[in-house]
Amino acid sequence: MTKLVLTRLGGMVLVLLIVAFCTFVVFYLVPSDPALLACGKPCTPENLALAREFMGFDEPWWQQFLTFLGGIFTGRTFGTGATAIHCSAPCFGYSFRQNTDVLELIGGRLPVTFSLAVGAAVLWVGVGVAIGVYAALRKDSWFDRAALAGSVIGVSAPVYLVGLLGILVLGFQLNVVPVGNYTPFAEDPVRWAWGLVLPWCVLAFAHGAHYVKLTRSQMLETMNEDFIRTARAKGVKERTVVGKHALRNVLLPVVTLTGIEFGSLLGGAVITERVFSLPGLGGLLIEAVHSRDLPTLLGCTLFAGFLVVVANAVVDLSYGLLDPRARLT
Amino acid sequence: MSTPVARSVPAAIRSVLARDRWALTGTVTVVLIALVAIFADVLTALEGHDPYTYDATALDPATGLPAGSLGGVSGEHWFGVEPLTGRDLFAIVVHGARTSFLIGLAATLVSIGLGVLIGAAAGYLGGWVDRVVTWSADVFLGFPYLVFMIALGAVVPAEFPRTLLLVVVIGFFGWPSTARIVRAQVLTLKERNFVKAARTLGASPWQVFRSELLPNLWGPVLVMATLSVPGKIGLEAALSFLGVGVLPPTPSWGRSISAAIDWVAVDPAYLFFPGLALFAVTWGFNALGDGLRDALDPRSVTR
Amino acid sequence: MYSKRILAAALVGALGVSACGANDQKAPGDAAAKPDKGGTLRILSESRTINFDPAKSQSLAITTLGLVHRRLTGWQNAVGQPAKVVPDLGDTGRTTDGGRTWTFVLQEGLKFSDGTPITSADVKWGVERSFAPAFGGGLGYHKDLLGGADYKGPFEGKELDSIETPDAKTITFKLTRPYGDWPWIASTPAFAPVPKGKGAEPDYQEHAIASGPYQIATYAKGVEVKLSRNQNWDGSKDQVRAGLPDDIVIQLGQDASVVSQRLAADSGDDKYAFGASFASPAQLAQLQANASAKSRVVTSKSGAIAYLALNTQKAPLNNVKVRQAFQYAVNKSNYQIASAGTAALAGDAATTLITQGIEGREQFDLYQTKPEGDPEKAKALLAEAGFANGLDGLTLVLNKSNNQTEKAEAIQAALARAGIKVTLRSLEADAYETETNLADNPTYDLTLSSWQPDFPSANANIQPLFATSEIGKGGYNISRYSNPEVDELIEEAQSTVDVGEAGRKWAAIDKRILQDSPVVPLIYTRNSFIHGSKVGSFFIADFPAYPNYLQVGITK
Repeated sequence: MTKLVLTRLGGMVLVLLIVAFCTFVVFYLVPSDPALLACGKPCTPENLALAREFMGFDEPWWQQFLTFLGGIFTGRTFGTGATAIHCSAPCFGYSFRQNTDVLELIGGRLPVTFSLAVGAAVLWVGVGVAIGVYAALRKDSWFDRAALAGSVIGVSAPVYLVGLLGILVLGFQLNVVPVGNYTPFAEDPVRWAWGLVLPWCVLAFAHGAHYVKLTRSQMLETMNEDFIRTARAKGVKERTVVGKHALRNVLLPVVTLTGIEFGSLLGGAVITERVFSLPGLGGLLIEAVHSRDLPTLLGCTLFAGFLVVVANAVVDLSYGLLDPRARLT
Repeated sequence: MSTPVARSVPAAIRSVLARDRWALTGTVTVVLIALVAIFADVLTALEGHDPYTYDATALDPATGLPAGSLGGVSGEHWFGVEPLTGRDLFAIVVHGARTSFLIGLAATLVSIGLGVLIGAAAGYLGGWVDRVVTWSADVFLGFPYLVFMIALGAVVPAEFPRTLLLVVVIGFFGWPSTARIVRAQVLTLKERNFVKAARTLGASPWQVFRSELLPNLWGPVLVMATLSVPGKIGLEAALSFLGVGVLPPTPSWGRSISAAIDWVAVDPAYLFFPGLALFAVTWGFNALGDGLRDALDPRSVTR
Repeated sequence: MYSKRILAAALVGALGVSACGANDQKAPGDAAAKPDKGGTLRILSESRTINFDPAKSQSLAITTLGLVHRRLTGWQNAVGQPAKVVPDLGDTGRTTDGGRTWTFVLQEGLKFSDGTPITSADVKWGVERSFAPAFGGGLGYHKDLLGGADYKGPFEGKELDSIETPDAKTITFKLTRPYGDWPWIASTPAFAPVPKGKGAEPDYQEHAIASGPYQIATYAKGVEVKLSRNQNWDGSKDQVRAGLPDDIVIQLGQDASVVSQRLAADSGDDKYAFGASFASPAQLAQLQANASAKSRVVTSKSGAIAYLALNTQKAPLNNVKVRQAFQYAVNKSNYQIASAGTAALAGDAATTLITQGIEGREQFDLYQTKPEGDPEKAKALLAEAGFANGLDGLTLVLNKSNNQTEKAEAIQAALARAGIKVTLRSLEADAYETETNLADNPTYDLTLSSWQPDFPSANANIQPLFATSEIGKGGYNISRYSNPEVDELIEEAQSTVDVGEAGRKWAAIDKRILQDSPVVPLIYTRNSFIHGSKVGSFFIADFPAYPNYLQVGITK
C-alpha cells in the first residue's frame, strides 16, 4: 500500500515537472524580452541590461529553469541590498509585471475561480443528476424528451455563446442580473452569490447537459440489472430501490466526470472568465500570456497541472468508497 | 462487464438513420454544412462577394454600422455585412465553414489515428509499452493544453501555416482519451478466441491489429470520432475566440463571434449568423454521434 | 413585470435627454454640471495594476497617479487652450545660465499623509530612487540630463551629485546641457516626493505615502484600489487638484465593453463612475442609439498622432522622392473608417508632426491632396525616382496588441492603388518593440505607430521620434531618420528657455523634417470616454486626450 502511494506521488511530481519544463521551453522560444517592461521610457540598452540582470533573465535558459526549481525549496532573492525582493519558499517565481510573488497572485485569484466552479458544479451536478434520474424513471414521457432535447442543445452550444446571450438578454435588456461585478464572499455573501448567478446558470446549462445524458443512460441501464429486479421482487419500496440501490450505481460515473471536469477547471475558466469579466485564475492566465509574464504563466500552468493530477487521484480514491464491489473486498 | 459486440457499421448507420429522427436531422445538418464548405466558392460567386473586400458603401456613414436593418441583410448581402469594414458576412460564414470543417476533421483524424495506434499497442503488447502509454496519457490529460496552445500560438512565427499548426496541435492533444478507450477494448478483445488463435498461428502484432483488432474497433472508433469532431471544431473556435487561432483575414466563426461581442447590442446579426452556424454543426455531429453510439453499443438502452 | 422595467428605463432615458439637452453642443465635456465636494467616485479600469510608485509610473500628470502624488510642477489644461506648466509642490523653476541650472522653491507648510513635512530632500530622494534597478519602468527623460549613467539609486548609499538641496525648500538641478523644457520634465512622475530613506520595499506602490488629496486606503491586488481623503493635504496650496470626492474607488480588470454597457445603463453605483479606457467604435455605435448615454460620451478634440513610418535607412525608402510618393498614396479617409467607423470619431487627418493643443504648433500641409489621396501623383513621383513600375516586396510590421490589423489592411489597400505592394507582418507587443526600437538592423520597410507626447511641449513630439540619438537602443525613432541639420536644430530648440521662441523653432523643425518625408502623418487620434450621470467636471482639454481626473467630482 505504502509503495503504491509513493509511486503514485512520484508519478504526480514527474508529471508536474514535465509540464513546467514544456511551458518554460515554449515561452523561452518567444522572440521577445521580458525585461523590456522594467526598462522604462526611453529604454536605453544600459537600463535594459540592468533590468535583465535584476530579474534573473541574463542567465542561460536551463540555468533559469534550475533556479526556478531550486526556488521552490529554498526561496529566491532578486537584486541585492535594501531593495532586494525576497520570495520565500515555496517560491513559484515573482511576477515583475504585477509586483507580486506568483503564489500570492494565484492565491488572490483562486477564490473567484473556486466560487465560480464550485457553485456551478453544485448546480450542474445536482440539477443534472435530478433531471437525468427523473427522465429515466419517466422514460419516453414529454419530460424525458424535453430533457434530452435540452441536453443536446446544452452540449452543443459553446459556453461563450450562451454566456453572451445571457449577458445580452438577462443582463442588459431585462436588467435582472448584474454583470461583471464580483464581490468577495467574506464581504457580502448575498452580493457574492447574486453577482455569480448568471455565470453559474450558464455553466450549469452547458455542463449539466452531460450529466443529464450520463445519469439518464446509467440509470436506465442500472434499473435493468438483476439486483434491482431482485430488490423489486423482494417487495422493497420503489423509493428505496431508486434512492439506495440504483442511485449509488449511477453516482460512480458521475463522480468520475465531476473529477475530470474539475481537473480541467482552469482551461474552462479561461473562456468563462473572459466572457463574464471575472477576476479569476483564467483571466490571470490570459493576461500573463498576452503580457509575456513568464513567472505568472509558469505558476498558473503548474497549478492547472496540479489540479488535474489531484483530481485524478481523488476520483480513484472515491471509487473505492462508492463502488459496492470494491467495498466487499 | 459485458463485452460490446460490434454490429456491422454500415448496417448500424442505416438502422440509426431509419429509426432515429434526431440522428437523421443531425446527419442532414452536417451534410448540408459540409456541402456549403465544399462549394463555398460557388456559393459566394452566386451571391457576388468574397470575404476579404472592404466596402465602405455598405456602411452607415454616421456610425460605421452596416447600412440598413438586421445588420444590412438584403438581396445584395444575404447575411448583411461586417461593421467597420463592410465585408460580406455570408461569404465570411460560408468560408468559415470551410475553416471549421477542415480543422475539425483533420484534427480528429490525427487524434483518432494516434489514439487507436497507441491505445491498441498498449493494450495488445502490454508490459512496459502499456505502462509508458498509460503514464504519458496521464501526463497529457494533466496538461493544461488550452494554455499550451495559447502559448504555441504566440511562439510560432506568422510564416508557419496557421491551419496546419492548429490541426497538429489540436489533434495531438486529443489522443489520450481515444487511446484509453481503445486500450480497454483491446484488453478484452485480446482474450477472445479469434485473437488468441491468430496469435498462436504466429501472426505479427501488426497483422493481428489489422485483420483481427481493427475490424472490431471500427464501431467504437466511429462513435468516438463523430463525437469528437464537434469538440475539435469548438476548440478551434474557442482559440480563435481568444485571439490565438486562425489569423485574419482567413474567416473563422470563433473570431467572428469574438469580434461580434462588442457589437451585439447594436448589430445582433453579426453574432447570430456565425453563432448559429457553429451551434448547428456542433449539434448535428452530437446528434449523429449519440445515435450511432446507441446503435453500435448493445449495452446502451437509452432510446 | 418586464414591460414595467422597460418603461422605467425609457423614462430615465427621456429625463436624461431633457436634463442634458442644454449642453449637448458643448463637446468635449459638460462644464455645466458643477460637482460638489463629497461622495464616492468610481473609476472603472481595464488594467490589472495601478502603479502608485512614482519611480515605476509613466502616468500623465493629470490622471490616476496625480490623485495621490503631487510633483514639483503641474499641468494646467483647459478646453481651447494649450497646456501650461504651473506650480505644484514648487514654483515653475528659474534658470540664470540659459537653461543649464534650474532652481525650484517649494511652498511653505506642505505635509505628507503621515503628517511629516515635505522637504526638497524628499523630492531629491524620489528622483534618486528612480535610478534604482529595482524601480525601473517609469518615465526617464531626466536620467540622461542629470548625468546618472552610472548611478544606481540611493539605496547603495550614494547621492546624485547633480541635485542640490541647499535648504529644506530649495532644490537645484545641474544638467549636462542647457534644456529649456526642464520645468516640464519636473512634472513627470519621478519628481513626486518620497520621504527620504523610505520606499525600499518592492510593494511601495501599495502603501505609497501621499502628498496629493488622496491616500491609498486599501489595495486589493488585481481587484480594487480604494483611495480616501488625505487629511494633511491643503487645497489652498494646490492649484491643479480640486480634490472633490471624499473617496475614490478604482475597480481593476474591468472588461471595456462591459464597462461601456454598464455606464450606458447608468444604474446604481455606476452613476458615480467613469471608464478609464477609450470607448471602442462598437461601443460608440451602440451609445449613439441611447440618447442619455450619448450625452455622457466625451470625445477629445484631438489626440495622439497616428503615422506611417518609412524606414529611411533601407532601399528604396532611402530615396526622398520615393518617400514623398507615400504622402500621396495613402488614403486617410479609409484609415479613419477602419480605426473608428467615421472621420468624426477617428479624428482629423494629420499633416503636421506637432499635435494639436501644444504651444507653438503651426498648421501647414506640405503635400496637399484629397482625403482619399492621389495615387496618380504618387505613381508620377515614383517614376521620377526611377520606379516606373511601382514598388514590390515591402514589409509593413505591426503591433498585434494594438488592434492595428484593420488599419494596416486599409493602408495596404491604399498603397496598392499606387502600385506599391506591401505584405503585413504582425508581432506581439514586446516582439514588436524589440524589432522597431532595439534592433540594430531591422528588416521592416514600413510600420504603423502613434505617439502622444509625455509632456505638452513640441520637444516631446519631435525629439524622441526624429533625433539621430533615438535610433535603435530603445529609442522611438522608428523611421530611423538621421539628418545632422535637424539634429542641430533640435539641440538648439531644446536649449531655448523662452517658450514662445522655442515654439517657433519647433514649428520650423516640424516643416523641415516633413520635407524629408520620414513619416506620413495619418490622423490626430480622438479618444472617447463615457461617464455616469452624477459625474461632473468631466472634460478633455486640447492636450492630453484624456479626462483630467484631478478635477472630476460628484454632482448632487
